[in-house]
Amino acid sequence: MLNVTGELSGDSWGIFTFLCAALCNLPALPALNCSEELGAGQSIQQTYDLTRYLEHQLRTLAGTYLNYLGPPFNEPDFNPPRLARAERVPSATVDLDLWRGLTDNARLAANYRAYSRLLCYLRVLDGQVGTAELRHRLAHFCASLQGLVLSIGGVMSSLGYPLPAGPAGPPAPPGAHAAPNDFLKKMDDFWLLKELQTWLWRSAKDFNRLKKKVPPAVVTLRLEARGF
Amino acid sequence: MNVAVFRSMAPVFPKMASPVRSACCVVLAAVVVVYAQRHSQDSHPQYERVGADVTMKCGSMDWDAAVTWTVNGTDIDESHLNGSYLILKNVNLSQSGQYSCYEGSSWHLKYQTYLRVGTPPKEPVLMCRSNNYPKGFYCSWHLPTPTYIPNTFNISVIHGTKDMVCEKDAMPKNRCHIRYLQLFSTVKYKVTLTVTNALGKNFTTLTFDEFAIVKPDPPESVVAKPVPNNPRRLEVSWQNPSSWPDPESFPLKFFLRYRPLILDTWQHVELSDGTSHTITDAYAGKEYIIQVAAKDNDIGTWSDWSVAVHATPWTEEPKHLTTEAQITETTHTRTHTHTHAPGETVFIKCSFHDDWRLWVLFPFHLERVVLAACFRAWCWLSWRRHGNSIEGGHTHSLEPALGLKP
Repeated sequence: MLNVTGELSGDSWGIFTFLCAALCNLPALPALNCSEELGAGQSIQQTYDLTRYLEHQLRTLAGTYLNYLGPPFNEPDFNPPRLARAERVPSATVDLDLWRGLTDNARLAANYRAYSRLLCYLRVLDGQVGTAELRHRLAHFCASLQGLVLSIGGVMSSLGYPLPAGPAGPPAPPGAHAAPNDFLKKMDDFWLLKELQTWLWRSAKDFNRLKKKVPPAVVTLRLEARGF
Repeated sequence: MNVAVFRSMAPVFPKMASPVRSACCVVLAAVVVVYAQRHSQDSHPQYERVGADVTMKCGSMDWDAAVTWTVNGTDIDESHLNGSYLILKNVNLSQSGQYSCYEGSSWHLKYQTYLRVGTPPKEPVLMCRSNNYPKGFYCSWHLPTPTYIPNTFNISVIHGTKDMVCEKDAMPKNRCHIRYLQLFSTVKYKVTLTVTNALGKNFTTLTFDEFAIVKPDPPESVVAKPVPNNPRRLEVSWQNPSSWPDPESFPLKFFLRYRPLILDTWQHVELSDGTSHTITDAYAGKEYIIQVAAKDNDIGTWSDWSVAVHATPWTEEPKHLTTEAQITETTHTRTHTHTHAPGETVFIKCSFHDDWRLWVLFPFHLERVVLAACFRAWCWLSWRRHGNSIEGGHTHSLEPALGLKP
């Protein structure tokens, strides 16, 4: 970014003049295929913003829903052991070095897959919930979450990555993994909300990393200009 | 194996002279006896609770034996004695010390102990925090009130079903750190601190999520500078705290607060990126106090406020300028500005060079003429502003009034 104030260093001047020259010659070039890179940068920022918005929405939703479930689920220090049945919900937990080393494709695919499945589970929840207010909130949240999935898909397409083969519906016939009793059903709901919250925190970090890696628009433009 | 050792040593002994050998053995034995005698009495200090009643027996002496007790070398009055027993009622901290019991007539030391009066530990205060996310976190603790006797601390960290080891730090004491093995965990961490001493034990537990304890250190190297020729601006810059390991992937956002010293209310600015900010609404000529805090962009809590810096915006009065000469070179002007005492003459040179870079930006002659005219107008206005002691103009060359190098 150039800071055009009273003082300009020699380097900034050089770049500025080169760019002016490049821009002047631009109309003579064949149409640049850089709209995708430009789009990806913006989409990543939008997806990041969406995760932050969803995380904020989830806080209110989770508070209301856990109160609906009643104690001990709405107690702040409720810390149950993770049961085997909770393993079905995609977990954001990952080894630190593994997470650092993920390729952009793997990182985006993990997010896409996780939210697709979480969305399915949430939709099942939506059908079972009692109060109208909760149904309304859940429906709104599901719509936003759907938007997030589509947004991630959009980023992947614009960067040229194939979309992961996501499950069209729930991974198993509904009722196959139904909880045997009311308490375990509530535990399932608790873990679903917890994993959703953790995924949203993780996604914010994932998209921070992606933001840095996708090349900025100006540099891309210059490279394309040299290509002629 | 021991027999073999002795057998191998056997040839050595006959070489030593017999009387020397005996003398060595006697001395060795004496040393051992004295050592045993001294330490059998006070090898372990005696710990007692504040307010307790303490009864000390004089070793194996009978109850009706004549003895003298001393504390730290001072005789104890007989009113505290019950026969040969020493009775201390409702002990307090000042009664800690070395207690010795001597046989009445021979003044043989019969018993000795070191009494330490203290209290059992109260519930300790434990704090855990991650200032280096995502590397790990540390926990630190202390006792709310002193016990006056030695305490040992034991800390355990459980993550789900796994036990983790908290490595103790050399400095500061009462702190240990843990490395995260996994990130983005939904399972809480449970930290239990147990404190034990000779009079009792106590413990406290903390349970938290990975995200809840993230709190960076305050920003470092906060610098606030006035902006030349701008009486309402202050330029503030700072650096990420050095303990934050990965600001690229885990960026920090900042909160700046500032106020003039004479007012009590702060103004706040939240900045989502960058490590500098220009305040544009400072009151002219007033000294400001400025602080910055940091937070991870998405999780955790705000850091403490940084060290406060003071700065005053630029003013035209000479006494407010810095005392060093400032030479600013731009692409198309050369201006010398000197500080000066009232009454001295200052010279300013304004010159306009046709730099090659101007040709690129303004390829038309007319544009360059207009630019030159604007610049001269600006020079003239500056001259007017600085008063009659300054000469300016296109062709003036300059002699620095204070003999400073250009």
